[in-house]
Amino acid sequence: MFKLSVGKKRLALFVLAGLILLIASTLVDELRLYQGAFVATYALGITSIILLTGYSGQLSLGHSALMAVGAYAGALTTNNLHWHPAIALVMAALIAGLFGLLLGLAVARFSGPYLAGTTLALAVSLPTLANQFPILGGEQGLTFDVGSAPSKFGENFSQYKWFFWIAALATLIMVWTIANIASTRYGRTFRALRDNPIAAELSGVNVGLHKVIAFTVSAGVAGLAGGLLVMLVTGVSPSAFPLSLSFSLLTGAVVTGVYNLKGVILGALVLVAIPEIADSVVTRIGGSEGFATTLPGLLVSSLLILAVLFAPNGPGQLIKRNGKKVQV
Amino acid sequence: MNQFITAILTSLSSGAIYALMSLALVLVWRSTRVVNFAQAGQAVLTTYIGYAIIQKTGSYWLALVVAVVSGALIGAIIDRFFMRPIFKRITSGPIVMIAPVVATLGLLGIIQAIIGLIWGLTNQSIDTPVSNAGLNINGTVVAFSLYNAFVLVIVTAVMLLLSLLFQKTNIGLALRASAYSPEIAKLSGIKVDAVRTLGWAIAGAAGGMAGMLYIPNTYLYPNAMDVLLVFGFIAAVIGGLESLAGAVAGAMVLGFAINFSTTYISTKLVFPTAFVVLILVLLFKPSGLFASKKERSA
Amino acid sequence: MIRNTRKKRVALVSALVAAGAMVLSTLPAQAAENGVTATTIKLGISSPKTGSAGLAYGKVPGAMKAYFDYINANGGVNGRKITLVSKDDKYLPTLAATQTTNLVLNDKVFALVGALGTSTHAKAYTAAALAKNGVPDLFVNTGFSGFANTAKYPTTFTVLPSYAMEAKIMAKFIKDNPTLAPQASFLIAQDDEFGIDGVGGFKAAGHTFAAAPTLYPAGGLTSALAEGALTKLSAVPGKPVLVLFGTTDSTAIILKAAEKLSLTDKFTFIAGSVGGDANTLLALGVKSTTIDGVIAASFFPDAKDATDEYVKQFMEINMNYNKGVTFDNIVLQGMNSAMLTVQALRAAGKNLTRAGLISAIETKGSTFASAGLAPLNYSATSHIGYNGYWFGQLNAKGELKPFGGKVALYTTDSTTGPVTASTYTRPAMPKNGIPNN
Repeated sequence: MFKLSVGKKRLALFVLAGLILLIASTLVDELRLYQGAFVATYALGITSIILLTGYSGQLSLGHSALMAVGAYAGALTTNNLHWHPAIALVMAALIAGLFGLLLGLAVARFSGPYLAGTTLALAVSLPTLANQFPILGGEQGLTFDVGSAPSKFGENFSQYKWFFWIAALATLIMVWTIANIASTRYGRTFRALRDNPIAAELSGVNVGLHKVIAFTVSAGVAGLAGGLLVMLVTGVSPSAFPLSLSFSLLTGAVVTGVYNLKGVILGALVLVAIPEIADSVVTRIGGSEGFATTLPGLLVSSLLILAVLFAPNGPGQLIKRNGKKVQV
Repeated sequence: MNQFITAILTSLSSGAIYALMSLALVLVWRSTRVVNFAQAGQAVLTTYIGYAIIQKTGSYWLALVVAVVSGALIGAIIDRFFMRPIFKRITSGPIVMIAPVVATLGLLGIIQAIIGLIWGLTNQSIDTPVSNAGLNINGTVVAFSLYNAFVLVIVTAVMLLLSLLFQKTNIGLALRASAYSPEIAKLSGIKVDAVRTLGWAIAGAAGGMAGMLYIPNTYLYPNAMDVLLVFGFIAAVIGGLESLAGAVAGAMVLGFAINFSTTYISTKLVFPTAFVVLILVLLFKPSGLFASKKERSA
Repeated sequence: MIRNTRKKRVALVSALVAAGAMVLSTLPAQAAENGVTATTIKLGISSPKTGSAGLAYGKVPGAMKAYFDYINANGGVNGRKITLVSKDDKYLPTLAATQTTNLVLNDKVFALVGALGTSTHAKAYTAAALAKNGVPDLFVNTGFSGFANTAKYPTTFTVLPSYAMEAKIMAKFIKDNPTLAPQASFLIAQDDEFGIDGVGGFKAAGHTFAAAPTLYPAGGLTSALAEGALTKLSAVPGKPVLVLFGTTDSTAIILKAAEKLSLTDKFTFIAGSVGGDANTLLALGVKSTTIDGVIAASFFPDAKDATDEYVKQFMEINMNYNKGVTFDNIVLQGMNSAMLTVQALRAAGKNLTRAGLISAIETKGSTFASAGLAPLNYSATSHIGYNGYWFGQLNAKGELKPFGGKVALYTTDSTTGPVTASTYTRPAMPKNGIPNN
């Protein structure tokens, strides 16, 4: 048999995953496609968190704001510049990445709670900026229309399938790119920086620079996720990016295992599945209004706590036989 | 001129409210090195308990006492049965920094869900214990009431009391030592775990008081203190996270900035102002406006 | 080997497609509509049940469901029972978009009813592709005039008069009132389409305010902000008219700030229909002495007026089917929309289709019985519901009493048409409140 390099193996894996998703998309109904597109988008969002926190040790509570930047950039690109939606998504990533660069430069010296506090404030205040500048559409927001599927796919090609294809493709490409970077020298540098910044600095790593790079790339990924999210709801508005979105992504990242990318889909699935499970539980056992509305939040929070208590390094830890902590 | 005076008075009132939360957050930070996002949830929960007391007995003062005491109890329970196991299981890697934060976030969600289940989700209101009518000064009614004065006085008193506790007592020393160097504290005979639980209890009590003082200004519902948490956190970071006086001062700075910008520039600038102030402080004085080097090495 | 597999695959797929086409072509010509079975009709509503708007509007789904339960207990609609799937969107546009999409895709409802909120529903309508899927969007609980645009919202039927209509009638009321006309007037409004619609309405009516409107971010009106705004306005001589175009919790904050600054007698307050529900204001801590004298508009009879036959009937239904909920203007509104829905379903006939429902409302909707004191304007060219208001003053008990003792209704449109006095009398209520159209 061929001896494929790790890189080629990884590529084959992603291509195979893509094909499987393609076939699956023809077999499932619209609802699953709709949910699937959300899973892909959240997976991308969780990836951006893992990049920042798991790979460079910085905690951000404000990724919803970065997604918002990407989303608005994308919407403005199609609406005002009249460029193709695919370019809009690229612009979403680029502009968010640029924003992340500036932010990273500003907060490179911060650590722990100061970084958390700044990103928290950002997450809360950035969406409200939309009300300040009329070009951003205020509370109503802007529309973001990626258009229907090309006519060569046939008239019955549903909009949701189209969304799913775009989201899944974007996610696969992005995650594959990040996974590749993570396995290079850069990846090792980042992990060194995360585990022991002082030692890393002593061995010549420019800690500040790498922190900023991590922030920039993470922001770019988040921006793309933001663009995909508003594609799904055909529009961007301040309320699309509440603080709770940041927290949800963090939850997904912790459930996945914040140190590696292997489980991002799992984390994303959890985020999408929880409201649905809560829904069916409520319809089955009935309950008051209050119960129905609070149950999803209760489930997500409980899951988060369980994950932190029993599998803080990811679900892989649960499978390991010996009690040693997982080293990445 | 009247507008200017009003702006100053409302700034003082807002600042006092933010100080309530920032004090509680700094307390937890100084005694445990954890930022407790569940503070908002704990404070709301104790306020609901206070609300229940008011429903039964009609007495705000009794409710205040019960809220403070239950806040302390809840804080202690959370540390003993929730945070302690987490610290025991997670000892390496950056997850050490993230896990408590994430855990407190999860706790916040659970508390709010439980409140929703027990009390429902509609707004309730709590009346102020003293009049909230504007004070009549020389014939003009100003935007400052007996209640606003009451809150300001309490906040100052709590700040002074707690500062005394931290700086001048043995307990305070134990709290600070356990937070900064748990191993060394253990070696000198301090029961680090118990001391940390005490820290959470004190912070919980402060949060309980914060809730009972804040809610009469607005409505009571499970997410009522979320925004206050954000402002309290920003205020704490502005003040430097290291001193209680700094927490109050930072809150005042934030209160003034927000109220003046919304009065004179635009009513839409509440959150952007908070963010701008935070960024400016962190860019030019990253350790916070009121932290001195001496404090940080203590 | 590969080539054979591929050929085999293609052959297999083609066979399947052919078989499928044959099967499909033998199905009855009219496929069953989503959400309709021989015994049930499934309707869906996405509205705020929690959050700042949930306080005021949280009662709507429950009220609608209570009325539907009452109808179900009395034979249903053409033998079918109505179920209502209700989702909470917390007044957030993105959540409304996903909840509405879920109602269509997941719950497969026959039609949507009572959607609430301007930004929320505008976003939800596009995201859930309601136009493309032909999903009827009945009796939306919002006054945004844009929803009457049938090109953009072909399946939507409004029920509330638009905010622009309300503002125009309000402007005429101020102009015609000899005490209010000479005073300076000011507007405090929510900074989104809801408030902006009102601003536009005043402009269309030719009304000028003494200063630019004070806009506050939706959900972001703090007492500090209100106190600052009122202090600034207190310097104006005379007794200025203060128009409050916001939700109930914001109106309450402004009124409480006025209490704190002892300015309750300084202004004449006019509360918009959204924020003027006296019950909710009182529940939020506004003093009854403050509410006494506030001017408000309505197109319903007052919810406390038990002499009105519709109010009396709805109160009874509320007591039996909506236990524990106090009857107020919101409950009245919800039940009224439910009553209109039932009549629409009846008019669409036993062979229930989405397209049939829409055309039934277009042809027969203007004759439906309802509690509203203004006429319904449904037709083949108009999807507009009520288009008028009457003005009254709240008393300390929270009752809205019409000026001059008798309801004086005015109707208009959302653009530049005149405001005219109306002599419309509403149809009598069907027996026991059970439609028999």
